[in-house]
Amino acid sequence: MLSLWLRRLSTDRIARLHKVSPPFRNAGRGERALVVTGRRGNAEVLTAINDSAERLGLAPGFALAQARAMHPGIDAAPEDAGADAALLESIADWCLRYTPLVACDSPDGLLLDISGCAHLYGGERELVADLSGRLEDAGFAYSLAIAGTIGAAWAAARYGEPASYAGGEELALLALLAPLPLSALRLPPATVAGLARVGLKRIGDIVDLPRAPLTARFGSEVLRQLDRALSYEQEPLTPRLPVAPYVAEQRFPEPIARKEDVLAITARLARRLQFALERRGDGARRIELTLFRADGVVRRIAAGTSRPLRNPDDIRALFVERLAALCDAFDPGFGFDMARLSVIVAEPCPSEQIGIVGGEDAAELCRLVDRLSARLDARRVRRLTAQDSHIPELAEAVLPAQVVNGDAGWNAFRQYREQANLPPRPLRLLARPEPIEAVAEVPDGPPLRFRWRRALHEVIAAEGPERIEGAWWSEHGGPARDYFRVEDKSGLRFWLFRAGLYRDLAQGAAAPSWFLHGTFA
Amino acid sequence: MSGPLPLGIPAIDEVLRGGLLPGALHEIAAPGEPHIAAAAGFALGLAGHDGKRRTVFWIVEEIAIAENGAPHGAGLYAFGLAPERLVMVSVAHRRDLLWAMEEALRSRAVGVVFGEMRGGRIDEVAVRRLSLAAADSGALAFLLRATPPSDASTAATRWIVGAVPSVISQCPGAPRFVAHLVRNRYGPLGSWILEWSDSDERFILATHAQPVAAPALNRSHRQVA
Repeated sequence: MLSLWLRRLSTDRIARLHKVSPPFRNAGRGERALVVTGRRGNAEVLTAINDSAERLGLAPGFALAQARAMHPGIDAAPEDAGADAALLESIADWCLRYTPLVACDSPDGLLLDISGCAHLYGGERELVADLSGRLEDAGFAYSLAIAGTIGAAWAAARYGEPASYAGGEELALLALLAPLPLSALRLPPATVAGLARVGLKRIGDIVDLPRAPLTARFGSEVLRQLDRALSYEQEPLTPRLPVAPYVAEQRFPEPIARKEDVLAITARLARRLQFALERRGDGARRIELTLFRADGVVRRIAAGTSRPLRNPDDIRALFVERLAALCDAFDPGFGFDMARLSVIVAEPCPSEQIGIVGGEDAAELCRLVDRLSARLDARRVRRLTAQDSHIPELAEAVLPAQVVNGDAGWNAFRQYREQANLPPRPLRLLARPEPIEAVAEVPDGPPLRFRWRRALHEVIAAEGPERIEGAWWSEHGGPARDYFRVEDKSGLRFWLFRAGLYRDLAQGAAAPSWFLHGTFA
Repeated sequence: MSGPLPLGIPAIDEVLRGGLLPGALHEIAAPGEPHIAAAAGFALGLAGHDGKRRTVFWIVEEIAIAENGAPHGAGLYAFGLAPERLVMVSVAHRRDLLWAMEEALRSRAVGVVFGEMRGGRIDEVAVRRLSLAAADSGALAFLLRATPPSDASTAATRWIVGAVPSVISQCPGAPRFVAHLVRNRYGPLGSWILEWSDSDERFILATHAQPVAAPALNRSHRQVA
């Protein structure tokens, strides 16, 4: 477990923002003091400071007025927790290059589960060297530690020797933790202060104490955190992103920037995934291509499929469209130095059958739907599904074609249509009924003429009413509707309805009003 | 590639040299925005003649859906299209409309492609590309336009189709269309009034709802004279 603490996250963010690399940088004596301030209670206090401000004797929690009185030359910036969190998330994304298991440890830390990943870099020390080099280049002050448990790594990163390392064995953890102060156990400040009052200051002080009195006096949290740090109790890591079941990645000695190269590498990674997918009989339903730019920006490009897929050519075709849709947003900058293809959602996929006519057509259709969805967005490529409702606008739903399969309820609808002898339905239905001004016979006659979108239509024939009750079981069900199919003088046909019945007027219902809901051919 | 798809109306089939040509682009325009449903119905009626029951793509500009409503599954039955055969694609730009139509036309799995656009011009080269894509795969392509186009056409046929009053006996009767064939690459032009026959699922040539001339008087007395 690797714990990374970005100890100057807020001030580093502001320094990066101003792109003034030398003066604000933590390295060197020449940097200017920078403090970040926020309102706590009624006072403007320092919430974060950089190294040179610390050398001036400032500390978080100081009032800004006091700090200014001591050192009129300091720079102050307002705090922005949202921007800090966003920066932490983007660093977490960037850390995906080391391991898929990255968790945010708010407000200013990250946890990386590097077990089984370090050998890709040649060992844990080499991984740490790579990580440190890149963080320094990016201008972050950090400290990190590797230990067998989350708690121990956290404590060592913040209170231990720089870049300390401990294995998972109990004795090693104990040796690492014993000299550290109790606040390294992630305890609330009040508990730490309480323990200090009775003379317990270091973790080593409480390891051998009887457990029952300690819990009775200071709560169960103290021993729980101690047990977690010493690996007596399991602590799960919650990764920020779901961990992909299949991953293939490639690092490049020289960054690549051309779209053709990205596609070629996608195809190569897909070919590698294909073997893994075939072995387990799976296919990909959602694939993500992660591109790590040399300057630290991470691009994640996802594409969905309408059937489990494992053919590298099909996967490449998806990303051809995704990259085409990105256009200028696909900004390679100085190039990508690493690419990873992960299958986020996998489904069992029967082995390919080749040469069956029906199957070929279905596969071809899936390919087309995937291509259109990748380019236009999956929500734009849709199929109609019949829903279990008698209210016209709820009777059908349009769902992404990638998720709809089978008859989508239409067989049941056909049966219902025949049994109920359903009156004709319009060819086109408006997204929501539009109010019209209508002249109609009271109480339940069809309209004689009506005005829709400023045009007057003279009704010469009408069929109806077809009464469709509102959802009477719901408060928001709306009134009953009387639908009419009408034809106007020029032959246009409309589907109109009157919402509400005149007979309900006596019971205090609102006056009926007319709406246009659709058009017939 | 299969031969022309006959409409079953000798007058029209003769003009079209046997029927509607698959593997070609057909433009169907409404005389005005309110008639778009009629034009769409006419196109659906023609498309129903593709007997292979392959998937139908309906690609439409978002703004046209907002303005004229989306295709309604239960209403598609009237023109012989089962809703499960339909894939709807909504696009934000005309550029995407043409791209998506071409993609769909190039696929072997697609039988019919409708592209629906509101008013305005369309790139002649793009229309030519659509025709070629349709010719490659043998799919039937329809370009639905909400207003009568003024630009020259490279499509196989161009129709202007609007609604006309039906035969009324209390209720509105079977839907009627006036179809003007204003461009035909293979032969003469013409205008017809067609009625959609729900039971046969095909068009029939309609007689006028109202008699065109007053009925002839009984002139037997003159013959006597």
